[in-house]
Amino acid sequence: MPSHHPGPPGYHGCYLRIDVGKQCAERVGLAEVELRKFLGGSGLGVHLMLREGSHQVDPLSPEAPLAFVFSPLVGSPLTTSAKFAVVSRSPLTERINDSLASSHFAIAGKRAGCDAIVLVGRADTPSILIIDEGQIRIEAAGELWGLSCRDAETQLRARLGNEYQIATIGPAGERLVRYATISHDGRHAGRGGSGAVLGSKHIKAIAVRGSQRARLAEPAQLVALAKQLSDKSFGPATAKYRELGTAANLLVFNRLGALPTRNFQQGTFKAAEALSPEQMTQTRAKTRASCAACTIGCEHIYGFRGGDNQPGVRMEYENLFALGPLCGISDPDVVLGASRVCDELGLDTISAGGTIAFAMECVERGLLDAPWLKFGDGNALHRALHEVGRREGLGALMAEGSRRMAKSIGSDALTFAPQVKGLEMPGYEPRALQTMALGFAVGTRGADHNRSGAYEVDFSERVDRRQPGLEAAGMAVETEDKAALMDSLILCKFLRGVFTDFLAEAAEMLNLVTGWDTTPDELRATARRIVTAKKHFNILCGWQPAEDTLPERFLNHPLPDDPTATLTPERLQGLVAAYNTARGWSSEGWPTRGQIAELG
Amino acid sequence: MSITVELFGIPRQRAGIAKTQAEGARLDEVLLDLARRFPRLAEACIANGRLQSGYLANLNGQRFVSDPSTALAAGDSLLILSADAGG
Ligand code: SF4
Repeated sequence: MPSHHPGPPGYHGCYLRIDVGKQCAERVGLAEVELRKFLGGSGLGVHLMLREGSHQVDPLSPEAPLAFVFSPLVGSPLTTSAKFAVVSRSPLTERINDSLASSHFAIAGKRAGCDAIVLVGRADTPSILIIDEGQIRIEAAGELWGLSCRDAETQLRARLGNEYQIATIGPAGERLVRYATISHDGRHAGRGGSGAVLGSKHIKAIAVRGSQRARLAEPAQLVALAKQLSDKSFGPATAKYRELGTAANLLVFNRLGALPTRNFQQGTFKAAEALSPEQMTQTRAKTRASCAACTIGCEHIYGFRGGDNQPGVRMEYENLFALGPLCGISDPDVVLGASRVCDELGLDTISAGGTIAFAMECVERGLLDAPWLKFGDGNALHRALHEVGRREGLGALMAEGSRRMAKSIGSDALTFAPQVKGLEMPGYEPRALQTMALGFAVGTRGADHNRSGAYEVDFSERVDRRQPGLEAAGMAVETEDKAALMDSLILCKFLRGVFTDFLAEAAEMLNLVTGWDTTPDELRATARRIVTAKKHFNILCGWQPAEDTLPERFLNHPLPDDPTATLTPERLQGLVAAYNTARGWSSEGWPTRGQIAELG
Repeated sequence: MSITVELFGIPRQRAGIAKTQAEGARLDEVLLDLARRFPRLAEACIANGRLQSGYLANLNGQRFVSDPSTALAAGDSLLILSADAGG
């Protein structure tokens, strides 16, 4: 492999570009200026997609690049920093997709001596990719093909040894379900179908090990700062995550009429209490877990009522809402079981629940002939998930996601398909949380709660959440910029409450790792550059301003159980224009020539 | 004057109940009444008649409030919840 500059502290100064078809790898240099401009994770990922010309090819074609991107903070002692971004053009949205996952795979991947791993090509037959200290080999997947994510990981680790960290796809990724995930240690790079991209390359799993640590500029000071940060992470700002997990949102959202129910036909769910973590904690066994290098431990793993010898299931707000109220399901065991099925098949729970709930409404309206698929029917939900994961029966259509499915059904189905740019909406009713409606509409990867934290604006005194003024747009930009930075540094967003001055504190961390002299202003500019880079990528893929909207259901119809929650097309358009202006783009959303040139 | 207080998440865990009545005509008076009756809730969430950072109050499911002098009316419901709605 050609030599390259070792890169600044915190980095290796290269990415490992692997052609899985030709079974060869090369190290491609990354200049310090590129790294400083895009940091790592999502930011460096979109930069790599632009550099590799990902926008020019079908996301499921052999040429399509798929990047696993690490970050300067991975491998540092900073809490919650063991994360990686999986970045590609999405097979679900045809736009940029960056989904994050956590844990030892990030640490091992970076120790392979690179800042990212980029896969191109397609193996002739189902295979596994093994990366050992940056040397690669491809082996037949053999009996691993067809296994669940967990079983494939367990068996491959048994074969290769515990020092390997493994990311896998499940049967859904093998069958190119457009919202298939990539899983590692029970966590998923969930959204946008990166599992289908890996499946299209005929790669069942990637196993990686390495021992090459990136040096740190100021290790002693960094350890002291990491200690302070860990201490703060035990405080009140993270209590919700530690004690109840994100599922604690359920009852709050229900009380505020913001809990999407029965495919967004209502904002409240009568049986919410039974599904809440407050209730479930009292009726079943629960354990806690955390990602590698995390002091918070937000993962709450619930057992099934009455035992069940199966392992417990991680319960997050998003899988709870999507497989519960969104599908009209009120039995916690059904929701836990459905989450486990998604974990095993390697399915994004939000898109799976969203697409199935949409199909349930289509059945209700007589647009689909599948009388078994009814809201509230747990057996139907489980059957639908299995059919999606195997593309059997109606699953072949549902595996395409709600937008493609709606187009295929025709009639007015697209008006109530719960998606933006093809990505199914997370659990925030946009008519009840209208700054979040803006965040969904303009999101570069579609309706998304991880790239925009605009709901925080709705949960404040700064706006009327059912009727925000144009000033909400600038606030939404701030939340998106913060997310872009956290996803590129990378730090877990559940840490965000512990910072008093995030930009200053983030600059200090980055400087101790890299030796740079980054300022808060530079980081603000970096965040904006990353968001613009994603927008630019989408423009190259064919983005048009008309994409930045919500389905008609949300624009012309009040929320039935809260008629005051009405979002007019005019209000949303006004907010979108204000958002674009706040970004320094044209009011329609086109970045300036100067902003594009600055990405280079 | 008595108003209804609904507790969610950590505030509910600390108080040990989901709903209660509290006395007061202003936000700070109600919070002080709660603090007096529920010491564990006070320790985690309330300081000097205000919610600690990380917690929010919402009136009747409509608007978020923090000004201690916010007037409350008979029949009002005050919701107390964790500020961070992320998930
Ligand atoms: S807070 Fe939760 S998601 Fe974040 S790093 Fe820790 S365990 Fe992982």
